[in-house]
Amino acid sequence: MFEQCKNIWQRRELLFYLVTSDLKAQNRNKLLGFLWNFLDPLLLMATYIVLVAVIFDRGGPQFPVLLFCAILAWRWFTSSLSRSVTSVSSKVGVVQTTRFPLAVLPLAIVTSGLVDYFAGLIILLPLLFAFDATFSLHMLWLPLLLLVQLVGTIGAALICAVIGTYLTDWGNILQFGLRLWFFLSPILYSVEGTVPKRYETVFWLNPFAALMESYKNILVRGMPPSEYMVIPVGMAIIVFVIGVWYFGREERKLVKAI
Amino acid sequence: MEVIRATDLGIWFKLGKRKRTSVRSFVVGGFKRSPKESGEFWALRHVNLTVNAGDTLGIIGRNGSGKSTLLRAIGGIYPPDEGDVTVRGSVTTQFALGTGFQSELPGVDNIYLNGILMGLSKREIDGMLDDIIEFADIGEFIDIPVKTYSTGMHSRLGFAIAVNVHKDIVLIDEIMGVGDARFRKKCEEKMERLIGERTIILVSHDMNTIRRFANKVLWLDKGQIVAQGEPEEVIQRYLET
Repeated sequence: MFEQCKNIWQRRELLFYLVTSDLKAQNRNKLLGFLWNFLDPLLLMATYIVLVAVIFDRGGPQFPVLLFCAILAWRWFTSSLSRSVTSVSSKVGVVQTTRFPLAVLPLAIVTSGLVDYFAGLIILLPLLFAFDATFSLHMLWLPLLLLVQLVGTIGAALICAVIGTYLTDWGNILQFGLRLWFFLSPILYSVEGTVPKRYETVFWLNPFAALMESYKNILVRGMPPSEYMVIPVGMAIIVFVIGVWYFGREERKLVKAI
Repeated sequence: MEVIRATDLGIWFKLGKRKRTSVRSFVVGGFKRSPKESGEFWALRHVNLTVNAGDTLGIIGRNGSGKSTLLRAIGGIYPPDEGDVTVRGSVTTQFALGTGFQSELPGVDNIYLNGILMGLSKREIDGMLDDIIEFADIGEFIDIPVKTYSTGMHSRLGFAIAVNVHKDIVLIDEIMGVGDARFRKKCEEKMERLIGERTIILVSHDMNTIRRFANKVLWLDKGQIVAQGEPEEVIQRYLET
């Protein structure tokens, strides 16, 4: 396992080039180019504001900014996974002609999603002021929360890349699963006052429950991360270890399976 | 000095649709899919060969005889399913080209991307960038997204990258037929300079190319070696069948 991580580290320049070319290619030929990195989460937020704040008349005065914090993190996660599914098979040309650690393909996707996340933070800042967020030292937890999410997402992306190569329907299954997961995570709502008490224990088993609440706590509410953070931390590590092990085992076989 | 050795090398593939599975067969068949159950065929079997430093080995054989698979096995892209391959030194592969391109980006970006994929550093590519651009000779297209290229320009850029990235062992898969006569001549001149200096394995259907460059020839049929040895002898036997 350390061997694999070392190999990837040695090819970090390759990772860097894959990420930059991915970002460049995404925004090319679009009238608004890089602006879409800001517009996309904003428009998504607007959609849900119409649904929750206007139609259901819920969410409270800080709803837009709480939603935005959660959407940024969620977008990073879902785009990483759904794009990882085809990360190996769509690069069949290079994969079958050049030898390089294939793990850089899903890794580049996760990394380029993180760059999008940082771009989103630029929009978040004015929103924090506009919706009267509590600025506090707890905000300094952000890098650690992102690290937890990064570790877990890398593991999950590696697993998706392998299964997606073997199993052509994996993309469809994943889309459905992610949609369900979205509604089961406190993105459109907060745990307190929404989730029925008897389900609460089960609810916290979802790693995104504590993670999303923690993002909202530290960025908007001026509170420390959720006390249930141990669950996402533990799961992130487990998924990462499984992902690295599984990808390492299947890596060379993938080339033949495409 | 011996740089490549394959001992009883075998590589199998699953056939057609069964290469990738759908949910149904995945669930029913489970994760363990052994070759016996799923209609595999051996793309290569019982292949023994050795290549010495400085040799140029030509590989001939009909379509689907396992030539490209053998190159990929030597290049470390396919792991052996049976037997063993050992390679001493760094390897570049030059396959049917233009494949690694990020089509939304201009040629220059793709030179960097491909070079780095092949294991070069940015600085090394900086040093050879002018040579590559000059060799490709596609004019101002080098700054335009690759998706606008013609097939010929695509291959020229691919070949220009591959031919300028040289390691100890060079694996070439049927790329001499790329481009127009002028470009072809340029490629052959480049090849001439590499002969003897590097270890080369060359796959080609063009017997003149093989005669001109190879000092050893290997004839593959249905994944097995039919003959190997002196170029003229093997080529004669191959042409007679």
